[in-house]
Amino acid sequence: MKTLTALFCLCVSALAAPASVLLPGKSPLVTFRFVFLTGAASDPADKPGLANLTCETLSLSGTRQMTYKQILDALFPMAVQTQSYTDKQMMTFTAETHVDNLEKFYAIFKAMLLEPGWREEDFRRVKDDQINALKVSLRGNNDEELGKEELYSLIYTGHPFGHENLGTVSSLEKLTLDDVKAFYKAQLTKGTLIIGLAGGYPADFPARVEKDFSVLTKAVPFQPVLSQIPPIDGNKLTIIQKDTRSVAYSLGFPLDVKRGDADFPALLLVQSYFGQHRESGGRLFQRMRELRGLNYGDYDYIEYFPNGMFTFEPSPNLARKQQIFQIWIRPVEVPTAAFSLKLAMFELDKLVKNGISEEEFQRTRSFISKQVNLLTKTKSGELGYAIDSAFYGMGDYNATIKKALATLTREQVNAAIRKHLRADNLQIVAVAKDAEGLKAKLLSANPSPMTYNSPKDQAVMAEDKTVESWNLRIKNVNIVPVDQVFQ
Amino acid sequence: MKRTLIALLAAVAWLPAAEPPKKIFPYAYKQEDLANGLRLVTIPTDYPNLVSLFIVVQTGSRNEVEAGKSGFAHLFEHLMFRGTKETSPEKYQNFIKTAGAAQNAYTTDDYTAYHSTFSKEDLPQILSLEADRFQHLDYSPDMFKTETLAVLGEYNKNSANPMSKMFEVLRARAFQEHTYRHTTMGFLKDIQDFPNEYEYSRQFFDRYYRPEYTTIIVAGDVDAKQVRALVDKDWSGWKRGSYKAPISAEPPQEGPRTGEVKWATATLPWVLVAYRAPAFSDTQNDAAALDALSYLAFSPSSDLYQKLVIQEQKVDAFGAQSGDHVDPYLFSIFARVKKVPDMEVVNQAVLATVKQFSDTPVDAAKLERVKENLRYSFALSLNNSEAIAGTVARFVALKRSAETINRVYDLYASLTPADVQRVAKQYLTERNRTTVTLTGAAAVSK
Repeated sequence: MKTLTALFCLCVSALAAPASVLLPGKSPLVTFRFVFLTGAASDPADKPGLANLTCETLSLSGTRQMTYKQILDALFPMAVQTQSYTDKQMMTFTAETHVDNLEKFYAIFKAMLLEPGWREEDFRRVKDDQINALKVSLRGNNDEELGKEELYSLIYTGHPFGHENLGTVSSLEKLTLDDVKAFYKAQLTKGTLIIGLAGGYPADFPARVEKDFSVLTKAVPFQPVLSQIPPIDGNKLTIIQKDTRSVAYSLGFPLDVKRGDADFPALLLVQSYFGQHRESGGRLFQRMRELRGLNYGDYDYIEYFPNGMFTFEPSPNLARKQQIFQIWIRPVEVPTAAFSLKLAMFELDKLVKNGISEEEFQRTRSFISKQVNLLTKTKSGELGYAIDSAFYGMGDYNATIKKALATLTREQVNAAIRKHLRADNLQIVAVAKDAEGLKAKLLSANPSPMTYNSPKDQAVMAEDKTVESWNLRIKNVNIVPVDQVFQ
Repeated sequence: MKRTLIALLAAVAWLPAAEPPKKIFPYAYKQEDLANGLRLVTIPTDYPNLVSLFIVVQTGSRNEVEAGKSGFAHLFEHLMFRGTKETSPEKYQNFIKTAGAAQNAYTTDDYTAYHSTFSKEDLPQILSLEADRFQHLDYSPDMFKTETLAVLGEYNKNSANPMSKMFEVLRARAFQEHTYRHTTMGFLKDIQDFPNEYEYSRQFFDRYYRPEYTTIIVAGDVDAKQVRALVDKDWSGWKRGSYKAPISAEPPQEGPRTGEVKWATATLPWVLVAYRAPAFSDTQNDAAALDALSYLAFSPSSDLYQKLVIQEQKVDAFGAQSGDHVDPYLFSIFARVKKVPDMEVVNQAVLATVKQFSDTPVDAAKLERVKENLRYSFALSLNNSEAIAGTVARFVALKRSAETINRVYDLYASLTPADVQRVAKQYLTERNRTTVTLTGAAAVSK
């Protein structure tokens, strides 16, 4: 059995048996996290969305023995909900059951992954769901996530990360059950599986699970070469045109640092200082929302963090070998849309030029050193982070980060800012109704004057003068009607 | 860690069906009142090192009784981060940051909850800072105006989702007198008028941010005696208030109502069928029986879900909710329909199911499966101190007692098929019904 310690150099290969990450305990709950090291990056070039569709078909369909209805009926009294999600390099199936129901639940879970029913009617329903997730939930009902996902697609143009995990509408419409079966056979193999178990399972349970899952094929799956990310020449603006009340922005650029790299703790501290997710202490939040009331919140990220509007903590098992730096500006009113973007760029420029002060460094270090514990407050979280640490080839996440922070200096942090962050050559995505109007404002050399509903002190007014005339240096603008995004 | 897990095992060891539980809430908690009416619930959980603090104020959009003043409870959730004479917002933020506390707040129809999770050594100072802002909140008219814009920003980000609009219309149709008529966000015109309402905001604070409306919940690696001493030190000087909101009772509904939303962009249509439902109760089982009915008739293991979602595939999102409320609220069944022409088919299928539950008692074995689901769901949800405190907060908001949890699960355990049939007959009637439909501008639907 390959346990956590053996996984530090985890890589996809024709392993004889699946790898395991085990966190045994005496809790009456048992957590399953099964992660396959495959995902949207392994989608065939002409079939974007196939990995995710495969994942969802397994998770939301019947097995050889049971119809989907029978599965739902069987899971209902146990109150177990299985969850599944696909990212670029990971496909995750997770669930939590009371130990009372362990055997009953495991029999179903095992069959879902090893003995899929492959019924056409299940496939049709799941495919419809994925198309609607793109067309309705993402394009139609969530401007903020739409902007974020489009930002990733633009930054990774021509790269294996260059398409939305869900795929495109036109691709999904063409995908067949045979495509799904083929992907399952080629990609969900012994060598790609990490079995994650936590909680009060019997001592012999992991060995049994590992044996059961050894029936997966030994094939070496297709793993894409993560090519160089194309450089961004000047600031590029994409406006998604959509009938909406306000303007949402996402902007960013590729980052050459990922978890496990030497500069990761320094950039984690910068991320927290500049825009800790859904916390009010970040610099962007303070300057944009608290001081000026421009919107509901403003944050930054050094790792992929989907569904941020619904969750306070990042979901584990979205590990990627390449990441981007991203700023998320929540919807702003149309009259202040230009000023808001200029202010975010102004703050980013200041961060890059000046770094952070000793006082902010100390305070933020204290924050992350304690806040990191919250990420693993549940067994499921602890298990997820352990699997991610294996992927990145690092030790226990909490311990590693805390140890690194303890010896980190402000100089190292500011050096990391200078080395990895920038305030130019960015991709910027806006979602707006009056795309032409916004384009004109953002390209104009004229100032974007800011007015307030209450007096502001002199320092703010003086800063506004600078921000109003901030040169966004946008080189290209592309306006895309919303129904063409991910089409 | 070992200590934690053994304790937890002991705490929920009753779950196997062989030994019927005495109490569903497995933690030994202490509930006590200060002389000023402030209530304290301390729950040592044996999850080590961390503490989760919830401060529940029994004031939500239900308390917004004056016309033109909707949304104030939620606005207050924002204003509470705007500092006091002793502690500027910056100083407050700096401490929270140094403590590594994850902190936030939320507002519902019935209550506002302020919550944070942090290392146990920071509890004294965090309780002290919270005491200061709850008793001495002090924000300037200028700060007030800026914060009102952040709330407008929140409305804006919500406005991209048609569900928000649909529930806005449902409430406005289903209620004429009661304050449940508006959503927690409030009417847009009231939000836009916030900047002119500084004086009213002070009045709102003076009315409701009082000890008799407030319960402090502390869960985690704590000792109840020590917590009480800390609370006595900083919170006992808080003055009791006297205000009682004149909340109008909603008169009985005299016939079915409808509402229609035309969404400006492409989206799938929705059908929302809602019935006037009883208030939450931990002594009378009507609301509990409707909860059970929501699972039996509309959950993924129900016959109707099987028909509409799995077999016919006319619907891609389906369910029902009978959200617990202090006053009588709504039992809502919602369906996202794939094709516009199927909206009426789905509506009729929902009505037929409702009739079936009124006409025929449910199979007793199926009801037992619902009870099993409720027990296991509850056990699975208590997997960290924050979740435990959050669960207690939800019930404290309704009845101001953690014991309510045990009482309501006892009600679930005693439900019979006759109870489910009785509430279906009594509440899910044509007279009590409001139906809202939503259709997109351009057809995403095929």
